[in-house]
Amino acid sequence: MSAAWDMVPVLWQDILTTVALLLPALVVGGFVLRGFAPWPLVRAILWRFRGASALFVLLIAISVGMGIGLLAQERGLRRGTAQAADKFDLIVSAPGSELTVMLAAVFLQPSDMPLLDGATYDEIAGHPDVEIAAPLAFGDSFGAASVIGTTAEFARYLGDGRIEGRMWETTEEAIVGALVPLEIGGEFSPAHGHGDAADHDAHDAAHLDVVGRLAPTGTPWDRAILVPVEAVWEVHGLADGHAPERAGQIGPPFDAAYFPGTPAIVVHASELWSNYALRSQFQRDRETMAFFPGAVLAQLYRVLGDVRQIMSLMALVTQVLVAAAVLLGLFILSRLFQRQLALLRALGAPARFVFAVVWSFGATLLLAGAAGGVLVGAGAAEVLSRVVTARTDILVSAPLGWSEVQFLAGFVSVTLLLSLLPAAVVLRQPVVTALRS
Amino acid sequence: MGLPLKIEGLVVPGGRGRVLLSVPELSLPAGALVGVEGPSGAGKSTLLYALAGLLDVAGSIRWGEVDLASLRAEGRARFRADSIGMIFQDYLLFEELGAVDNAALSALFRGRGERAGVRARARDRLDRLGLGGTAGRRVASFSGGERQRVAIARAMAAEAPVLLADEPTASLDRAAADRLVDDLVALARETGTTLIAVSHDARLIARMDRVLTITDGAVTGDREATA
Ligand SMILES: Nc1ncnc2c1ncn2[C@@H]1O[C@H](COP(=O)(O)OP(=O)(O)OP(=O)(O)O)[C@@H](O)[C@H]1O
Ligand SMILES: [Mg+2]
Repeated sequence: MSAAWDMVPVLWQDILTTVALLLPALVVGGFVLRGFAPWPLVRAILWRFRGASALFVLLIAISVGMGIGLLAQERGLRRGTAQAADKFDLIVSAPGSELTVMLAAVFLQPSDMPLLDGATYDEIAGHPDVEIAAPLAFGDSFGAASVIGTTAEFARYLGDGRIEGRMWETTEEAIVGALVPLEIGGEFSPAHGHGDAADHDAHDAAHLDVVGRLAPTGTPWDRAILVPVEAVWEVHGLADGHAPERAGQIGPPFDAAYFPGTPAIVVHASELWSNYALRSQFQRDRETMAFFPGAVLAQLYRVLGDVRQIMSLMALVTQVLVAAAVLLGLFILSRLFQRQLALLRALGAPARFVFAVVWSFGATLLLAGAAGGVLVGAGAAEVLSRVVTARTDILVSAPLGWSEVQFLAGFVSVTLLLSLLPAAVVLRQPVVTALRS
Repeated sequence: MGLPLKIEGLVVPGGRGRVLLSVPELSLPAGALVGVEGPSGAGKSTLLYALAGLLDVAGSIRWGEVDLASLRAEGRARFRADSIGMIFQDYLLFEELGAVDNAALSALFRGRGERAGVRARARDRLDRLGLGGTAGRRVASFSGGERQRVAIARAMAAEAPVLLADEPTASLDRAAADRLVDDLVALARETGTTLIAVSHDARLIARMDRVLTITDGAVTGDREATA
């Protein structure tokens, strides 16, 4: 059975799941409405209670919209972060927390980390399967932008080779991420540290010219200024990674004896399959740690996956509760037209017709609310995406997807079944009592 | 054509052993116009509800061949849909709908094949009652007399052979009540409908063939009208 299901194309799986979720509502609707045309009455009742109806629809739309907006956002965030880690195939660092190193290297949230020495760097860079081995040097900033020392090769790889202007050629030159408020041709002095704690005078002697701009990557690196790693070392009064006879050289190879150290090395293998071999090779107790940021994120999502499920369930429960409150309101409203419902019975309407009128009234509100919820949800997801993107520079886009559609289908089914209850209760009122009242 | 009525041993229980209405025997010919009078609380409305099959009763209520009292609630509803029209003191219209939609209300729960016929007859009855020009207007703007005419059209749109009216003129002023009685009586006679009208209105009662008096849940008077 599950094997057969796996054979079905994903799109069809989604469609079938949605239909299956809607099926209870469709079946019930079919049975309740079969042979009747209650719409003119339902319209009349909706119109009579237009204020309350509009309010109910709004309440449902907001609660449903918040739910699916949040779910879409959560998925968008996962995609955005996964995409941000895309260029970081393998990271080698000193042993410690993979999460800490990943936050520093991929999301530019550096903390103090032990350094890898030149010999280690040489060994990695010299491995035949390694195409790029880029040291990263953190710690400086300009305004809100982090200044990061690395190699020209990695900078090009990061921007997929799309650089406006040109790559740096000296340690006095820099290229900027797409969102950095510096023009090509502009100049800046990096400050030591970040934000309020930054020491603005520490590197006053250093002036760098902006010579290029990377194309947008949708990652925090869009707000970073990239400089030759030698520039960072020099500014801090360290050796520049090259032996005196090669002074002035920019980029690898470095001389181990003159290599000041790097907290992390980003490795890009020449072939995808060699990544695993490289990882096991550089995963050494007490010396180095090698990991795939993508795998760390996946692990994180797995942990959060349970949370997501609980979140979906909570959202669904909340919305069903809102819908139940609405149905209760509807039931109270129905007392206001109980005499007219009794009249229908006096005219000879079958009980099921009266039932159909009350149920359709509720169903209309629920469906309109669910439809409104799609708009609210798409809007909420869009706003949240913008806020998250603005705050983290991780490009998050959260279009509504199948899981939201299915969530909605589940909501519609549960609540349409639930609205059988008030309809049944209305039906239990004796006709004559209602006519006399 | 109307239906004849034959009641035997009708008892409407009122809960806690009380008897709201007891009619040991009563026969009415098809097409009769029957007035029902009596003091408030005597059981006049109760009689109408029982005759419409809206109450669980003991005994038999035979409309033509059908004993309503022996049917279950849904069977009685089906019988009502085809055979009984009801009119109430306060019209009970859907204010948001037009005159035709109100008069043809029962089309909404009838089979597809019957709907057009019901609507056509609803229009026809409205025409006959002088509301032809206002058929599409929402009844919210109608006068009391006009509303009660829409209610009559609704009760007669299914060509029901029996019409039960509970104080049909009570909400109308004298002039409107008189015009309504004229139309109601004329229409009932024209179609041969059996009409049973509960009323305190002496002018309505005077137009009937026969008048029953109900006191304390029993038929205490049965006379030819003195028109
Ligand atoms: N559901 C009920 N349970 C018990 N008693 C009821 C019920 N409905 C009505 N009654 C009682 O039945 C009696 C007859 O009521 P009914 O409405 O038939 O009187 P009526 O003759 O139509 O009076 P009116 O002229 O005021 O309309 C009254 O005493 C009333 O209080
Ligand atoms: Mg009464």
